[in-house]
Amino acid sequence: MMFSELGKKSLEEAVREGASYADIRIGKIFDENLTIKRGVPERVTLLQKSGFGVRAIAKGAWGFASSVDLTKNEIVETTRRAVKIALASSRLKKKDVALTPQTTQRDKYTTPLKRDPFKVPLDEKLDVLLQAERTVAGHSNLIKSSSAFFRAVREEKLFMNTDGSEIIQEITWCGGGLLGIAVRNSEVQRRSYPSPFRGSFSTKGYEFFQTLDLPGHAKEVGQEAVDLLDAEKCPSEETNLVIRGDQLALQIHESCGHPTELDRALGTEADYAGTSFLTPEKLGKLRYGSDKVNIVADATVPGGLGTFGYDDEGTKAKQAYLVKKGLFTGYQTSRETAHELELEESSGGMRADSPLALPLIRMTNINLLPGDWKAEEIVEDTKSGILMLTNTSWSIDDKRLNFQFGTEIAWKIRNGSKGKMLKNPTYTGITPEFWGSCNAISKDDWMMWGTPNCGKGVPGQVMYVGHGCGTARFRSVRVGLIK
Amino acid sequence: MATKRLQNVSEKTVELALKEKADQAQAASFMWDSALTRFANSQIHQNVASKAGGVALKIVIDKRIGTLTVNTLEENRIKETIKQAVKIAKITPPNREFTGLPKPEKWAPIQGAFDKDTANCSPDYRADIVGEAIDTAHSKSPIVKAVAGSFSTEMLAFAVSNSLGVSAWAKISLASINTTVISELDGSEGFGYAEQSSRNVKDIRPAQIADRAAEKSISSVKPKKLSPGEYETVLSPLAVGTIFNYLGYIGFSATPFQDGQSFVKYHLKEQVFDRKVSVKDDARDEHSLIAVPVDGEGVPKKAVKLVDAGVVSERSICYDSLTGGREKGKRSTGHSFPPITSGFGQARPMPINVVAAPGDAAIEEMIKETGRGIFVTRFHYVNPVDPTKAILTGLTRDGTFLIEKGEIVGPIVNMRFTDSMLSALKRVPMIGKELEQGETATVPAIKLEKLRFTGVTQH
Repeated sequence: MMFSELGKKSLEEAVREGASYADIRIGKIFDENLTIKRGVPERVTLLQKSGFGVRAIAKGAWGFASSVDLTKNEIVETTRRAVKIALASSRLKKKDVALTPQTTQRDKYTTPLKRDPFKVPLDEKLDVLLQAERTVAGHSNLIKSSSAFFRAVREEKLFMNTDGSEIIQEITWCGGGLLGIAVRNSEVQRRSYPSPFRGSFSTKGYEFFQTLDLPGHAKEVGQEAVDLLDAEKCPSEETNLVIRGDQLALQIHESCGHPTELDRALGTEADYAGTSFLTPEKLGKLRYGSDKVNIVADATVPGGLGTFGYDDEGTKAKQAYLVKKGLFTGYQTSRETAHELELEESSGGMRADSPLALPLIRMTNINLLPGDWKAEEIVEDTKSGILMLTNTSWSIDDKRLNFQFGTEIAWKIRNGSKGKMLKNPTYTGITPEFWGSCNAISKDDWMMWGTPNCGKGVPGQVMYVGHGCGTARFRSVRVGLIK
Repeated sequence: MATKRLQNVSEKTVELALKEKADQAQAASFMWDSALTRFANSQIHQNVASKAGGVALKIVIDKRIGTLTVNTLEENRIKETIKQAVKIAKITPPNREFTGLPKPEKWAPIQGAFDKDTANCSPDYRADIVGEAIDTAHSKSPIVKAVAGSFSTEMLAFAVSNSLGVSAWAKISLASINTTVISELDGSEGFGYAEQSSRNVKDIRPAQIADRAAEKSISSVKPKKLSPGEYETVLSPLAVGTIFNYLGYIGFSATPFQDGQSFVKYHLKEQVFDRKVSVKDDARDEHSLIAVPVDGEGVPKKAVKLVDAGVVSERSICYDSLTGGREKGKRSTGHSFPPITSGFGQARPMPINVVAAPGDAAIEEMIKETGRGIFVTRFHYVNPVDPTKAILTGLTRDGTFLIEKGEIVGPIVNMRFTDSMLSALKRVPMIGKELEQGETATVPAIKLEKLRFTGVTQH
């Protein structure tokens, strides 16, 4: 039976069982993961996941059921289970679920690729990783661990709902990175390229991985990891902080991406990740940052790791402002939460990490729009400060106000020049105060960073999201939190 | 019946792989049925159930290893999978560190690890439990504004076979409830939290959990700000569990130990923690909830003394077969992860059945013995800042209180700590006599002579 016939069968069954709305996602995921560590292939794995998930509203409440067994009987049984679960939910509801209107879509979307990463011979990919990893390791005897990573993911999925939408998508992304760990006595320092968390990733083909040029950057990774062993410790002070994109991406993620998720703001993540300081009465009123700060959720930006054709409840990909000229102006929403705030449409942020999981409001690409500066000019314009690169630790409170980040490396800035290297850099702040102190944003080094490990929800899901940004400067930031 | 079917699938898979000229083969097949009812704003807002399953296959040809996981138990698709895994293995460079798949060892099932009622729990039963939690919390006080949480029931079964003769299986059930209660008075919010997990759904006591969370929440409204600094600190078992889970990840796992990133590596046989601190990882302990007798490679799970009267050593480290094979004289301690599909990446071998030795103090006594300090209900978003020095950062959450002259005097605004656990756990004047069972850690409350708080948030 074709997937669309299975989907149709499920939706008919849901309605027959009493659902007022239902949708089904049927999909397959191919996930290739390669790791070369200390000269050997530590990991050469392929994960193939397939299945379906049915979401139903019955008696005004939600139910969801999923299974890996793609047969007609299982589709029918699982659909009945979803409706039964919805009926159980309806026993503890305060009001009926309502969805904001949506245009019915019958469409196809495929990630544009120049070279399909799954068609590139495995040995070609492994050769690149081996060469790069050996270069990191070969830099010095002090490099005690070195790794090179490649990952490619393809998601093929069909979405159908009782409103008549039928959307087929094939989303592909890939990328990779490098890690070098230098050890001397009990002193340990690490450097990653191009970003931590096994590298950077993009909804592009193998051509993206090639542009990363891991072998070409491997020597610098080894060199900086070793140099950090002799670097001065980051001082404890309040100073001008210049943050490069590979760290700023996570700052945006944690302090703007998560708090503008409307489910959090409405309290439905209170038990786990927490709520948000950006509560609905502040929409359009709260000054989130300086007037230089413009942040959008944009699922349409080419190459963004959160770029797609439609979200997992059939809303077409779009761009929505979250912060405009420093003012908090928008949320990332679903159809249900958009209706709660009487918004005209969903922002298109519903995503699930597999067909077996329930879609949640997830970041797509949360981008800090470019400013007027060149990255170099920001440093030249800074009399005294610190430049920080590449995240290594992160933590933020359950309303997304008090944050603390650590980066792999930093440099002192004195009189407009990059000075001494600093190790173990950390900084902390309160979200609106921090973004309110932003006084320079670059345009020339603006790029998309792809992070495949955003965790959210119960049961937990891991989503791939993108962040566009360059370099930015913040004044009077407290740095050096380690004793 | 699930385990018998899975054993057949795994054995058949290994047999088919050897026919495809694999030198060695390992198959770990699994079934994972889970259901979860989630509530917020005092109503159910998510209610899900999922049936997952599949086979994780490892093919070895002359030290060339290919692994492939597919979520089907259907023989024809498994046959295709084997062919693909063989292809991958043939073109993968040899892994010189690979010393062979695990050899068979004696193992025995863990009695009472699986409960049928938990595995078959209905959505109506879950709604009843959730309803009881919500009603109980609201009945505590009119200032209770909203109740959130989740109640889950699940079963996991897996069977591992390999071409060297390993044939082992596990089957467990787990029921967990957690409740967050939000109160509001004159525009000031207070949060409270409690949780319970058990192998048996009938043990779950929603009213007790909701009552505890509501009490904390009601007492937490109108918090005052306390300046950062070093404070005597009483950690509830929830907070202690978080600390030990992170120490397991950054310290007691063979991966950071071999990378030179584990604090254990630099303090072998040293008295790094207070003598009163003893912690083990033991799947067979009666408190352990992930009570699997064997790991994802079919290796019997061994009890590992993570901290022995405050001392860490080489014997504190948890290995799987790959990391065990890397070090002379070492072998797997049975800490490879169970074979459940995940796109998150390869899990490192680490303790997931942490059990700390209890002390002899009641929490009330710890508070009574505190001159000026902080009581922490739980931590939020903890992360390592410097794993080699066991420096962690994170925030307090859901019930943080000031203690003065032996009494809790009121709620305080949540605070951030940034401190080395080598320093924080060095002087532990008191340890609780009651152990609290969590999904991956069973621990008591403890009192720290000092914990370094570096910041304050706004709620």
